[in-house]
This record gives sequence, C-alpha cells and structure tokens, in this order.
Amino acid sequence: MRRRRKGSVVTEILTWVVVVIAVLWVLFPFYWTVITSFKKPADVFRLSSIPWLQFTPTLGNWQTEFTQRGPEILRGITNSIIIAVFASLLAVALGTLAGYGLARYRYVKWRNQSMAFWFLSQRFLPPAATVIPFFLLMKSLGLLDTRVALILVNTTFAMPFAVLIMKDMFRELPVELEEAALVDGCSRFEAFLRIALPLAAPALVATVIICFSFAWNEFLFALVLTYKHATPMTIIIAGTEHTQGVQFWYVSTRLLLAILPPTLLALTVQRYIVRGLTMGAVKG
Amino acid sequence: MSKAKEGEGTRASLPLLLCSGKGEWKMRRRLREKGNAFVIPAIFWVLTFTIFPLVYSFRVSLSKVLYGKLVGFAGASNYLRMFGDYRFWGTLRFTLVLVLISVCATTAIGLGLAIVFNRKMKGLRAFRSILTMPLFTAPVALGYLGVMMFYEENGPINVLLKYLGMGKVPWLSHPLWATLAICLVDIWQWTPFAFIILLAGLQSISDEIYEAAVIDTSSGWAVFRYITLPLLSPVLGTVIMLRMVDAFKAFDIPFSLTSGGPGTATRTLTFYIYTQGLRNFDLGYASAMAYFLLAITMVIGLLFFRRYRELYE
Amino acid sequence: MEWRRLSVVLLSVVFVLGFVFGALAQEGASELEIQTANAAFEAADKGNPDPAWKGQKLTIAVYSAGPRGAISGPLYFWRPYFEKLTGATYDIVEIPFGELREKIFTDLMTGTGTYDIIVGPSWFYGDYIMNDWIVPAQEFFNDPRMPKWEPESIALPVRELYMWGDKLVGFNNDHDGQVIYYRRDILSDPKWQEEFKKEKGKDMPTPPWTWEEVYEICDFFNGKDWNGDGEPDYGISMHLKVGGQGFFHFMALSAPYVVSPAPGDDPAKVTRYHNVYWFDPETMEPLVNTPGFVEALNMLIKLSKTGPSAMFGWSLGEAWDAFLRGKAVMCWSWGDVGSLAQLPDRSVIQGKLGVAPIPGSDKYYDLETQQWVNKKNFVANTVGASWHGVISKYCKNKELAAYFLSWQATPQINHWNVVWGWTGVDPGTSYDFLQPSGKATIEEYVATGYDAEDARQFVTAYEEMWTKYPLRQTYLRIPGTPEMWEVYDIHLSEAVTGQVSPEEALNRIAEEWKAIVERYGKDTLKKIYQEAIGYKPE
Repeated sequence: MRRRRKGSVVTEILTWVVVVIAVLWVLFPFYWTVITSFKKPADVFRLSSIPWLQFTPTLGNWQTEFTQRGPEILRGITNSIIIAVFASLLAVALGTLAGYGLARYRYVKWRNQSMAFWFLSQRFLPPAATVIPFFLLMKSLGLLDTRVALILVNTTFAMPFAVLIMKDMFRELPVELEEAALVDGCSRFEAFLRIALPLAAPALVATVIICFSFAWNEFLFALVLTYKHATPMTIIIAGTEHTQGVQFWYVSTRLLLAILPPTLLALTVQRYIVRGLTMGAVKG
Repeated sequence: MSKAKEGEGTRASLPLLLCSGKGEWKMRRRLREKGNAFVIPAIFWVLTFTIFPLVYSFRVSLSKVLYGKLVGFAGASNYLRMFGDYRFWGTLRFTLVLVLISVCATTAIGLGLAIVFNRKMKGLRAFRSILTMPLFTAPVALGYLGVMMFYEENGPINVLLKYLGMGKVPWLSHPLWATLAICLVDIWQWTPFAFIILLAGLQSISDEIYEAAVIDTSSGWAVFRYITLPLLSPVLGTVIMLRMVDAFKAFDIPFSLTSGGPGTATRTLTFYIYTQGLRNFDLGYASAMAYFLLAITMVIGLLFFRRYRELYE
Repeated sequence: MEWRRLSVVLLSVVFVLGFVFGALAQEGASELEIQTANAAFEAADKGNPDPAWKGQKLTIAVYSAGPRGAISGPLYFWRPYFEKLTGATYDIVEIPFGELREKIFTDLMTGTGTYDIIVGPSWFYGDYIMNDWIVPAQEFFNDPRMPKWEPESIALPVRELYMWGDKLVGFNNDHDGQVIYYRRDILSDPKWQEEFKKEKGKDMPTPPWTWEEVYEICDFFNGKDWNGDGEPDYGISMHLKVGGQGFFHFMALSAPYVVSPAPGDDPAKVTRYHNVYWFDPETMEPLVNTPGFVEALNMLIKLSKTGPSAMFGWSLGEAWDAFLRGKAVMCWSWGDVGSLAQLPDRSVIQGKLGVAPIPGSDKYYDLETQQWVNKKNFVANTVGASWHGVISKYCKNKELAAYFLSWQATPQINHWNVVWGWTGVDPGTSYDFLQPSGKATIEEYVATGYDAEDARQFVTAYEEMWTKYPLRQTYLRIPGTPEMWEVYDIHLSEAVTGQVSPEEALNRIAEEWKAIVERYGKDTLKKIYQEAIGYKPE
C-alpha cells in the first residue's frame, strides 16, 4: 500500500535525486566489474575507467572463460540454482508456517518471544565451529558432494530469517478476516493459506529473495561438503585466486555470470509470486 | 499504534484521534487458542540439524584437539587461553566496531531508502529491483572487486577523490583506512537487506491509516513518528537483530578484501576462529572462541530484545 | 513493462549462447605445443604399464587454476596421453588455493580418502610425515613397471625438498625459489649510470649482489620518472599483503643474514648453530628473534620505503603488475615473473628483463660465537611451494598413481612443462639449465615465446643460485608449518606498517611459535625437524 502525498514538486525532485544516487551507488561496482571483464590483465591496475578512452576492451577473458572453463562454470551455476531454489523454498515454507504459528497462537510452555529468540539463536554460532560436525553428519549419511547436503544446510541457516520476518508480518495483519473465515467453516490451515498468506505476499517475496541470496552466496559449507559434483558458483569464484595471485579479470567474468540468474529471478519471479497469491485473496 | 502482547487487549498508545473512529484496531489481538501444528515442522528441523553440531562443538571446546581428533580433556584451558590472547581481544574489538558501524548505517540508510521508495511514483519499481542486486554478489568476489576499486594508485575511488581535491587514501595499506574500507563494502552489500524488509513492512501498513492521519495532521514528521515508526517497529527491531547477528559473523569480506590485514587490524573474530579451527585444525580453541562469541551475541541480543520490546510495546 | 521482459529474454539468450559457443569452440593447445609434446612423449621412458590398470581411475587433487592454468594445466594436458599409455584415466578435483589445507587435511584426517594423488606444496610434509599420510616415492622407484626419472638431475637445494633423509618422498615436478628481477635496459643505460655515480658516489652495481646494493639502486630510482610516462615511478615492488605470500620475501631476504657457514671443510653442513634458520635443533627454541633476523627486518623496512606505500596491501597480482607494466625497477619473486614477462597482455618489458640470483648480505650473525661477521654471505633459497605429487595412503591403486607421477617426473615430460611457461612449472633440473652446464638449448625457450636474452638471464640466475651458491636455506617441514607461517606473515605485516617495532614483532612470532610447538608436542616436533633439515645430533 503506498502513501499518496499531495505532492509538492520539490518532494518529487528530491525523491528522484535520492533514487538516482542510490542507483549509482549500487550500480557503480557492477559497472566496474563489467569493464574489468573486458580488460587485458595489464590494464586492470592502470587508470582505466572509461572504455575506448583509457583502454582497449578485449573479448579475450570471456573467450577463455567460456572455452576453457565453460562446462565447469555451467555446472557451478546449475548447482547454485538448484541448491538456492530448493533451500529457499523449503526454508520459507517451514519458516512461514512457524511464523504464523508464533504470530497467532499462544503456547503453554514457552512465551512466543522466547521461541522466536530461540529460532534466532540458531544463527548465533559462527559457522567455523559447526562445520566439522556437519561434515561428519553428512559423511555418515553418505551425502558428501551432493546437492542435497547443501540444500539441507542452507535451509537450516535461512529458516530463522523466514520465521522471524514472517512472524512480524503476520502480526501486522488484522485478525478479523481470518476469524471471519473460521466462522464460515474454514479450517485454521485453510484460513492461513487462503487469507493470511496472500495478504502477506509482499513480505513472502522479500523473504524468498533474502533466503535465496543467503543460499546463493554461501561459501564455507559448500567448500567443506563438496568436491566436484555439487560445487556451487561461489567455489568457482574462489578458484580465481591461485598461486600467481588473484586473477581479477576472471573474478569479474565469474561475478557477472554468478549474478545473472538471481537477478533474472528477482526481476521476473517477483511479480508472479505476488500475482499468484493475491489472486486467491479476492475470495474469502 | 502498537501491537498487543499475547493474550492481552490492545493498548492504545497513540493519540485518541486514531482510535476513535476505527474500531478495527481493537481487533489485533491474538486468538486465544493453543496451537502447535504450525511450528512443529520448523522445530523438528532445528532440533535435527543444529542440536548435534552445537553439542559436539561444546564438547570439542573442552578438549585438546590434534588433527581433528579429540586427544584429551582440556577443561577450561581453551577458554583461559582465549582470555590471555591479545589477538583475541584485538579481533573482538574490531568485530564490535564493525557491528556497530554496519548495523547503524545499513538500518538507517535502508530505512531512508524504504521510505523514499514507498511512494506510488512511476518507474520506482524498476529501480527497486536494481537495489537488491548487491545481495546476490558473492562476498568473496565482492572483496576482490573491492581490491580493484580501492586500489590506491589508480583505482576509481582514489581517482575520484583526486578530482575532488583530496589526497591518495591508503585504503588497504593503513589499518584505519582498511577498517573503513571494510565497513563501506559491508554497508554496500547489506543495505538492500534492510531496505527490502523495511519496504515490505511499510507496504503492509494499510492506506486507511494514513488517510485518517492526514485528515488530522499534515505534518509529515508527525505522521512518521507517531504512525509509521511504531507500526514498523517490530519489523525494524527484527531487521536490527538479524543484521547484528550476521555482522558478528562477518567473515567473507575481511577475508577477501584485506585478509585481516595490515597485520591483524581488520581481522574479525569469525575470521580468527576460521583460521584456528579450519586452517590450523586447532578445533578446541576455535570452538571455545566460537562459544564465547555465541555467548556475547546472545547477551547483546537478549538485552537489545528486551529493551526494544519495552520501549515499543 | 515490456522492456523488462525483453531485457530478461535478451540476457538469457546471451547467457546460453555463450556456453554453447564455448562448448563448440574448444580453445586448446597450439600446433607447436602438440608437436613438441608428441616428441617429448615419444622420447620419455614409458616403463611397463601393467595391463591390469586398464579402465582404472584415479582422483587427483590440485589447486584450482583451470585447464590452462599453472600446475593444474599440465594435468589436463597430459591426460589423453596417459589414457593412451595405460588405458586408465584420472579425475582432476580443483580446490581453491586459499582452502587447500582445509580440504586436503579434512580428507586425510577423517579418513575419507577421496584423493588418491595430492599435488600439493612442500610445506605439508611435516603433517604428512607426522601422521603417516603418504606413501614415499622411494617404494616405487625401483619397480620395473615405473618410468625411470632422475632425482639426481634436480638441483640440490630443491632435491632436498623431494627427499626425507635419504629417502625419496615426492615425485619431480615444480622447482620454486626467488631470484631478483630488474630492468636491465634501465640499469645499463649510461645516462642513469652517470646520475647514479653523481648521486651515490660510486658505480651502479649491475646486477646488485647484496641487499645493501639493492637498496641503493631502488632508493635512487624511486620517485624519478625513469620510464618516460611523465609520472614518478618506483624503485622496488613487493607483495606485502597479509595472505599475499609476502613473508616469502622476508624469508629470502633474511637468509644471508641468518644462515652462517659451518667451520671445517663442509660449510654447508647442518650443525646446531650453522646452516639453521628456523629453530635450534637441540632445544626447538625459535631463532626468529635473533640479531640476524632483526637486522634483516630493518633492511626489509628500509627497502619498503623505496616503493609505493600501497605495497603493504598488495598481493602477487598487483606487485608483479607494477614491475611488468614498467612502473617498478626491481622486484624479487618466483619464476612466474620470468614467464609472465613474455606475455604481451600482461607485460611491456619483454626483452628488457634482467635476472640475478637472490642477493646476499654484507655480514651475517654467527649464533655460536654470538657475533657479527663482516663477510659477504650468499644463501640459496627454495622459498615457495615446489608443487608436486604425493601418493595418499588411502589411494586405492598406489602403483598406478606412482606410474603416473613417475612418468610426469621423467626429464622429457618435465622439461616440456618447464619450457612452456603457462604450465607454471619452473626450471630446476640440469635438463632445464642451458648448455654447457645443463642440457637445454636457448632455442627451446625461444620457440615457446621467450625473448632469447630474457630466457638466458632467467634460467642462468636460477642455475647459479642453486648450483654455485655455497650455502642453502633449510625449508621448514614440520607439523604446523602453515600455522607458523601465518603467524610470521601477520607480525611481519605489523612491523612493516609500523604498528609495532621490528623487535617486538619478531618476539611475538617467537612466542607464538613456542606455543605452537608445545601444542604439537616438543619432542615429536624436534625429531621431525631434525630429520627434515638433515641434522644429526653430535
């Protein structure tokens, strides 16, 4: 729901100024990444901000990446997509359910706040201390170097976010709609599904995006739990550092390749999720 | 306007002007029923996948470890070693600095952006998607990108500063400036996080509230302070908490941007835990530090949690 | 929003096309590479592959650099030949460089045993030996099935890295050490020589033989515009960033100040006070804060002022770039600089490269007499990794693994790897050194793209350092070496950036090393250390 201000032109202009600054601030590093991916290695550290003016762009880096590392990069991206999609969906599913429960119901044994805090506390422990136990766990389950292992791990770490955010969102929603539905004969779950969920659609999208980004960028567990078949893109990117130093030009190409799928997802899927959910809200 | 505590009626903390006309606000109370089903899947998951690692790590923190094998009981010696380790305190100090700066900046900027973007203006939607892009940048790659951009001789940032008349800033070779560089990169990456969630929160506030408010007062600041902020406060609190918890575990950016240097000036505690635990396999010490970090974050988190709830509810 | 949908479609199409194009247009080896590789393949000893090996598969761990990258590249390149030879093949698992230790050690510690062969650095040996994680190469050396290779052809300081005591443990591959690179065109330019004489009052030493001379030259050139681009340029370029392998700079620099010749007919003999660098072999006391080190660190700090201050945050790429792009007049580093200097997209100095063995010092500290000795001292170093293959004890087919590694170690194949710079394998055997002392010709290097004089300087510098220098620095191969080096790295960085005094930094290193030794067990470490450096208690 947007605010409508009886706008002054000044406010509009100010708004756009802020937007432009924010967008520039966000996009500049990406711009830099793009031009670096077209630079010869010797140009990377020279004064080379403007293509054609200060340096000659070259396709060499992209060519090498696609020809020499193409299959590996493709596998990295595929793995990343699969892991992130499933992990975020699972985390959001579990988390939304839990968030709804915490928002709407009172529990006998513990205060809801404490439970929320307990969910949050799962994220407190630094990963380095839990990596070895996870490794041993996955090894005993025979899940080393599988995508399933990473999906499980990422769901575990993303879920607290989903729980907390959705809990707050649900609490903001007025209860009477659901109460009306219950009176009409819906089960609690149906009330949740048909009424609360669509109303919380914007928040749901936000949560999916956040969880997806966490899974997408996860590095440490991917490093320890995978060898060759399930390596996501983050490992491939880390592979640009080697004994001759960091190869910044390849960092750029891989960064761009790595950021493409989530951006595409964010651009397209957003609208569909919201539309799909709000359609159900018309009834009830 | 605040939300009800569990099981209690609403507490009207706003000027009467709002509550008078609309009876709906009273309805924001909890269904007074007990219901476990919704939380069970999540609880089950957490128990399965986090209890074992937590318990195991605690046991390890009390042991002597060599090459990943527990070779003896160390009692509290790992913890004692930690308190005498000047590097531990140094990293703790830097971590706290980073947390403070990062949390404040990302929340403030995120909130500001969310407010700006919450208008019904054409074209804002497209830019919104762009603003989420930093979240998808793998932190490792971001650090390396930072190395290029903060490159002191000819990197874009120093070139820009040169045009603005300032000198060459030793971004990566000086302890203080390196700290700032890390904070900047961290803020760049995490502001969208606050932005997205706060924006969703703002969008959930229904229009009718604002319309009612505008009738009574047209001061933007008053509307913000008495309506938006309180309604948003739970989400705001959550964002701060989440951001704080994650900032304590900041690792990727110091790792790839400065490797904790120069010296150990920009080494975070998690970085130290990582090198001790997974590079040197001194798992006993690493687990001890990890539990200490856990304790600190818990304490700070709890304090913040309680105080925040008191203030706003 | 039609433009949005359009841009999405467009991006996806570009994305997919890229991969299709990549898959179809396989960029691979050049004609000459394949030709010379075939010749090397024919000439190399092939041993007698066991027919039982057909269809078997090995898993090789190597750090991540891709099919045409350093050290991992040759594994990809030679795979088809290997398959033809034996009917067996191998999987290459690439590990991000910074995470090698985590990955490999976790695998070995937990007994998971995914890797059959580990192409790793020499600094893992301490841990390998202590935990008995590898099968020594010696076991297979006389097996008639194995191709014959020549450990004796490897220059002595490097050969010692492949051995433990008098047993071979690893298979010949890379040979690492640092030499000093300089701009021979600038240093031999009469104009600059004259100015140097005016400013410093003596002739410009070309090449510099001691660190004091290096300092004078770099101090002279720093801040002057000697490359004609209108901007002031630098003297030295170093990679001093934490985690940027900067501590190897100091390791190479400090050697001549610390490593003292033994009295008697064998100056290179390792005694308690002579030819030691890391620890006292009797007491395991760190030597890192003895006067020799302090003096060396002061020299390092002095030298770092003759280059850009940004160096304190530079890792390899940036530091080499400053030299390769013609902004710095000198740098000391590994053989990679020599081969990178020949690539037009990395360097502008092809044909201008001067290379000299690592400088020595004007004096050294004798630990026995606890006195400074004012004599010139030259010590060869093997700093770096000298990446090579070892066989994991969990390997399921050890003979096949030994066969592969022996075959790669044969002079013909190894030399081929050396002359083609992209493989990352640096010269170090008599097959790589130039005639008459070695067996290689300059034409072999020129054929792969080296400038003739550059190549001659490059190869000769390494040869001189490793065969003519009277002393050599011992390499630390005890459990916990990487941990100790990390500590070393951090405190050195603190010292050069002025956060602590040199003495304090070195004392901190010594303290932490003592703690690490205690943790692993002083007696165990002492025994392994003595074996590693070849010290026999009197």
